[in-house]
Amino acid sequence: MTTATAQSTDIPGTVVTPARLRRSAAARRHRYSRIKMWLGAVCAGVVIIPVLLAQVLPLQDPVNGSLAQALLPPMTDGHLFGTDANGRDLLSRVLHGGQTSLLIGCLAVLVSGAIGIVAGSLAGYYGGWIDTVVSRLLEAQMSLPLLLMLLLVVALFGPSILVITLVIAIAQWPEPARITRSLVLVEREKPYVAAARVLGLHRLTIIGRLIIPNILQQALVVVFLLLAQAVLLESALSFLGAGVQRPYPTWGGIISDGRQLFITGQWWLVTIPGLVIALLVIGVNLFGDGLRDRVRRTKAAS
Amino acid sequence: MTCGPSRWSGPDTVSYVLKRLGQTVLTAFLTILTVFVLLRLAPGDPAYNYAPPNPSTEQLEAIRKQFGLDQPLLQQFWTFLSNLFHGDVGTSFQFKQPALQVVMDRLPYTITLAIAAIVVTTIIAVPLGVWMARRNNTAPELGANIATIAGQSMPDFWIGFVLLIIFAVNLSWFQPSGFATWGELVLPTATIAILQIALISRLVRREMVANLAAPYITVARSRGVPERDLTWKYAFANSAIPVVTALGTRFAAMLNGVVIVEVVFKWPGVGALVVDALQRRDFPLIQATVLVTVILALVVQLAVDLVYPILDPRVRLGEASS
Amino acid sequence: MAHEVSGDRTSVRAATPSRRTILQLAGFLGAGAFGGPLLSACAGPTGQSSAVTGGGEGGSLSIVLNRNLVSLDNKLNQYDAAVTVQRAVREALTRIGDDLTPQLVLAESFEATSPTVWTVKLRNDIHYSDNSKVTVEDVETALKYYFQVKAGYVASQFPEQPAFAKIDDRTFTLTTKKPVVSLMSLMSNILITPAKANKPEELQGGIGSGPFVIAKSDSGTGSYTLTRNDNYWGELAHLQQVNVSYQEEEGGRVVALTSGQADVIDTITPESAAKLKTDPKVDVIETPGTRLIHLFYNFREPAGHPLSKVEVREALSHAIDHASLIKALMNNQVSSAEGVVPKTLSGFYKTGDYVYDPAKAKAMLAAAGATGLKLRVIWEDAEFSGASQVLEAVAQMLNAVGVSLELKMIPKGGEINAWRRGESGDWDVLANGYGNQTGLAITNLVAQYAGTAEKEKTRDTYHGFVVPQITDLLDRASQEVDEAKQTALLDEAQKLIWAQWPAMWAWTPNNVLAKRKRVRGLRLRPTNAYDLRAISVVGS
Repeated sequence: MTTATAQSTDIPGTVVTPARLRRSAAARRHRYSRIKMWLGAVCAGVVIIPVLLAQVLPLQDPVNGSLAQALLPPMTDGHLFGTDANGRDLLSRVLHGGQTSLLIGCLAVLVSGAIGIVAGSLAGYYGGWIDTVVSRLLEAQMSLPLLLMLLLVVALFGPSILVITLVIAIAQWPEPARITRSLVLVEREKPYVAAARVLGLHRLTIIGRLIIPNILQQALVVVFLLLAQAVLLESALSFLGAGVQRPYPTWGGIISDGRQLFITGQWWLVTIPGLVIALLVIGVNLFGDGLRDRVRRTKAAS
Repeated sequence: MTCGPSRWSGPDTVSYVLKRLGQTVLTAFLTILTVFVLLRLAPGDPAYNYAPPNPSTEQLEAIRKQFGLDQPLLQQFWTFLSNLFHGDVGTSFQFKQPALQVVMDRLPYTITLAIAAIVVTTIIAVPLGVWMARRNNTAPELGANIATIAGQSMPDFWIGFVLLIIFAVNLSWFQPSGFATWGELVLPTATIAILQIALISRLVRREMVANLAAPYITVARSRGVPERDLTWKYAFANSAIPVVTALGTRFAAMLNGVVIVEVVFKWPGVGALVVDALQRRDFPLIQATVLVTVILALVVQLAVDLVYPILDPRVRLGEASS
Repeated sequence: MAHEVSGDRTSVRAATPSRRTILQLAGFLGAGAFGGPLLSACAGPTGQSSAVTGGGEGGSLSIVLNRNLVSLDNKLNQYDAAVTVQRAVREALTRIGDDLTPQLVLAESFEATSPTVWTVKLRNDIHYSDNSKVTVEDVETALKYYFQVKAGYVASQFPEQPAFAKIDDRTFTLTTKKPVVSLMSLMSNILITPAKANKPEELQGGIGSGPFVIAKSDSGTGSYTLTRNDNYWGELAHLQQVNVSYQEEEGGRVVALTSGQADVIDTITPESAAKLKTDPKVDVIETPGTRLIHLFYNFREPAGHPLSKVEVREALSHAIDHASLIKALMNNQVSSAEGVVPKTLSGFYKTGDYVYDPAKAKAMLAAAGATGLKLRVIWEDAEFSGASQVLEAVAQMLNAVGVSLELKMIPKGGEINAWRRGESGDWDVLANGYGNQTGLAITNLVAQYAGTAEKEKTRDTYHGFVVPQITDLLDRASQEVDEAKQTALLDEAQKLIWAQWPAMWAWTPNNVLAKRKRVRGLRLRPTNAYDLRAISVVGS
């Protein structure tokens, strides 16, 4: 009953205006996912880019400080973030520490992603005992006291980058495995797989060259989101004392050092590195979430 | 409603429960075994931690003997197992009391924290998630969406410290550690809850969005069912299952995972106990803690699984559990 | 585990949701019923100070320690703050006084009637909190059990176990094969309990003859409540109640104090002390301590290693700018050592000072051909407050004279033991704290510097320090009954030890304790303990 006046640029005679299109759910979803992705990229970029450039930027020495300059609050004397108890510039320590943390995070995610996707697709495709074993492992891992086991393993093998990477990878492989498994379960029933079987392709070939590329996009989004978790886990381990050793800074280590001090008013040692971690993780999560909005087919539609 | 065979009767269900119980016992056993072995392989000398300062070889040997650490590994494990059947998990090196007793003394504090966190989470996250689903793809929801992503991204120890700095040090509303009055419960619960609310509300939103888009909702709407009923009695009822499962899983995970919060707030619970015990290599105490928390977590998960048929009559235990 | 609910969703659910809602509600209620009892079992205050009844007699005190006081008995474990609480309940024949010399408590007289025999007479007015008399048998049993406990801390301080012989109801003798000159100080750690209740293990409850009795004890949470012993044989305590708890987190202790939740906290870091000094309701008490922390060299290096030359060791000491360290990282709460044992110990001899002179350091290193030296320092995590920061600063200082120092922190857990015994890896310097519970310099000296080739076979020397001349002097000093001669021997030994430059730097941290102003009568001893009996509280 309402006769909307058609805009001049429209297909004449329709009610659908560009304005209406812009307000539609699909367009809004697209717009919001873009906002999220941009916001996420900015947040993460603000952290990642300086960290990557830490060797190149004109920063002060993160390892040797001058005792006379100990515990200066932020914005004094050319120290943007202040100094720690040994007189070392906090900004520099945070950026250099970020390199260690990011390195561990990326490596761990690569390893856990690889393991998870492989295990999940094998379990999803073959079913049977492989599926049982993988599912049982997934379930068992969920009920383990994870942090304790990680601490124990680090205590056992020593806190080196390799060990911590592996430990975080083990903590994280369930996520990609589960997702991959359920995706593969769905893909398996599709006609092209049956066709491939009929053509005599080996099952592993089917998995590797047909199925995985189809689900890779969705699985990779999950893996990407794991990066944030890996960084969080690494800082938690450092905080509890199981991180990479002195005098190289790690984010969790800096916070742990500052633990005793915040009560006497030196709040920056604890809040600023945490803020950096939070910013990075929020950025990665936002970006990944926006990405997932783009990539996912809604549940109702599938 | 016609009553068919009760969804809980029948050989299927019984065998399912038995199977799950068996799996629980097996998982617990394997976990304990792993912890047992790892502890004894780790470098570090427990005797040194309980010896007088600068101990001589003799003194260390005497302590090792007292703790039973001088025996071969298999022997130690056998002793441990046979004691376990009598309900004795060993005597804590540090406290000189039955390790199980020490753990059970502190377990209620951890449970209090976990329960408080779950209750707060449920109360806030569920309505929030539903609201986000109803307002999906609108600007306010975008804000809430970003806020929840932020909520699940912040490191929990950092949140704890920030809250401490603001409320305990600067405003002095709360004590920063220990558990002397109920007031101290607030900050640790808030720290845990922020993360959990973010996760659960997003889960609720995801499920609700999917359900609200389903055809039967459209049909019901066209029949004139009011929106509120559609939201709560129809869509939410169907979303309840994964949400309850998630809440149950989160609770079980919390029993294992409030370690960091307990350390930051010096909560007299099991998490702080075990971190300390690990540093001192108090083997019996670590083993007892792992045993108790693993069993508790598995039991909670089993309970959640058993509650399933109540929530969704379509589910039959023992089938399609993949 | 995701439960895939298959089946289509086209059925309209009208009647079932209400039943489901009821069931869900029931589920929640059930969870509540499960959690309720747990909840009510949980809420427990951990060491709250109750309201004060006004000045004078009565009132309660709240102490928050920094470690769990695992038991009120010291057969296996004893550390400074524990002494305060343990001695409130149980007493010994003697005690270490304010000037670190022994004073009589349960004993009326304690004399050396011959070089190897001490005669002790108990007071006739002493009794336990239940009025039963303290007998000579109790002392005998206590002595026996302390030595029976395997690897007991207290027993290890005695050179040998004294033989007990009863003379009459109040008198007995302690006989040793070789003269033990410091027996009176050593017996201050043997706490007396009724013989029947005593066991060769740490007692969890029980009675003693001290000014307080145990009202509640929970070693799991480290909380204890002591109440005044109105039956005390000596002057009654002022306080009515003492609540003891612990909190490892320094910040937590500090805020407990400033908020009034705690009255006394001990072992505070310099930063917290600085902050607390500005608080009008809090007093900060500092006394020189008896603990020595030093950067000790590894004396097990192969021959020809630069560190085996005394000149090199001395040179490194000159590279340490300890004044800056003390000011910046230690908040002026420590004093640089002036000898090989802490100044506060009885028998201390001033052998010299640590002097900062980087030019001299460089010159000496060059002369010894040791420029460009590479060293490794190890320490156990949290060995002392701010350890990592201090050692990182030391590394910088050594860098400035051309020596590179690799830092290796050993995580807690006992791993350091293997390193210290030379079984784990190479190291050159160890940052180690050495406490003292007898107040006597000779205890430290014998334990650290009287190494023998015999002991070294089982790696029981102090990191390989074996200098026969020094060992001989110390052995003779332990057996010398004449005080003047003993002092001469000890002085000589300390001079020789200092000349070896066994530590790159050494320092003694102050004992720092903070108390609320309402607490009166607290005298902190160099041993970081104080007498609870003398404490009173006024106002709130």
